[in-house]
Amino acid sequence: MRRVVIAVCLAVAAAACGGSDDVGDVGLLPEITPDELQTLIADTDRPLVLNVWASWCIPCRSEAPLLRTAHEQFGDEVRFVGLDVRDNQSDARAFLNEFDLAGFEHYFDQSGAAQGSLGAGGVPLTLFYRADGSLFELHFGVIDERTLALNLDEIGR
Amino acid sequence: MEFTLLWAALTGVAGLYGALWLMGRRDTSLCVRDLWDAAITAAVVGLAVGRIVAMVRGGVNPLTNPGDILLVRAGVDTVGATLAALAALAWVLRADLAEQLDGLAPAALAGIAGWHGGCLFRDACLGTPSDLPWAWAQSGSDITRHPVELYAALAFLLAATGLFRLRLRYPPPGVVAGLGLAVAGVVRLATEPLRPSLLDGPTAWYAAAAVLGGATAAWSWQRSRAGQRRPDGPLQ
Repeated sequence: MRRVVIAVCLAVAAAACGGSDDVGDVGLLPEITPDELQTLIADTDRPLVLNVWASWCIPCRSEAPLLRTAHEQFGDEVRFVGLDVRDNQSDARAFLNEFDLAGFEHYFDQSGAAQGSLGAGGVPLTLFYRADGSLFELHFGVIDERTLALNLDEIGR
Repeated sequence: MEFTLLWAALTGVAGLYGALWLMGRRDTSLCVRDLWDAAITAAVVGLAVGRIVAMVRGGVNPLTNPGDILLVRAGVDTVGATLAALAALAWVLRADLAEQLDGLAPAALAGIAGWHGGCLFRDACLGTPSDLPWAWAQSGSDITRHPVELYAALAFLLAATGLFRLRLRYPPPGVVAGLGLAVAGVVRLATEPLRPSLLDGPTAWYAAAAVLGGATAAWSWQRSRAGQRRPDGPLQ
């Protein structure tokens, strides 16, 4: 019995140490100003999902796999943009590498000024824009599968 | 902070408790307190396991991110949660499983009805587009949609009422519970195509639940009838 307990403890410890700072092939995230972010939204030619995240944000980790799935399914019709706020480059790149999220655009907003121009604070935050750049829905907090699917369906029509 | 999910959970718990209270008034053979304890235990176990399964399926390690287990808003795997809840129920009620599950089944369906009806608090009732007269649109949209969660709530409520009435006629042990499982599978199976989804829905599991529940009910009924027909053995 003692051996089993020790083996389980070692397995747990090994798994707990499994977190990685590996940034893989993920490059530096370009910085973005409030004006540039507003221009990006206004000039979009497709519906746009803007996800505000940070590598230190635990709820952001939970919704990351869902956003990857959504991008895989809707990436051709909907533009996915990530805005990394109040973070550092190495942690942000490791986060994108860990969750395989480098497939869509991400911008770096260390001061949080660009996020401030959206009129909403906190992370995570997910904003859904129609193809004409108008805001359809602002979702505070972790997004669930149904809400994400429903809003993607709305802006995609 | 957002508390809409909590309100939906409270609606579900209210449905469960209300149904148990009503059943306890009509059926004195039920120990409502024991069933309530079993149901809450199963719900907590189901929620925790369902959350962990959802994390693993999403690629998040529960051991390195234990705090995420509390983030139920990020998703709970329905199949994992249901299996774990049923296993917990079977363990807690093992002394008299079939009878106790029969007592609990109508209340459980009422609780699920409450949970689905709680979509009104979460502003999350809508599904696929529809032109039906009762369809409505999200705020800021002109696309009307099926209020699919209200369909499910209504179906579960009707099923709970039907099973409650059946339970009062004391059918053979296992019949009410089996029918409850079958109805739950059928309702989810019928409403699933009306929900927008990103992931592959667990429709095969819903179908399996419907078949398993129906088979359990039929087997329990048949077994009871066979027992009634069996002639008495020779006198010693």
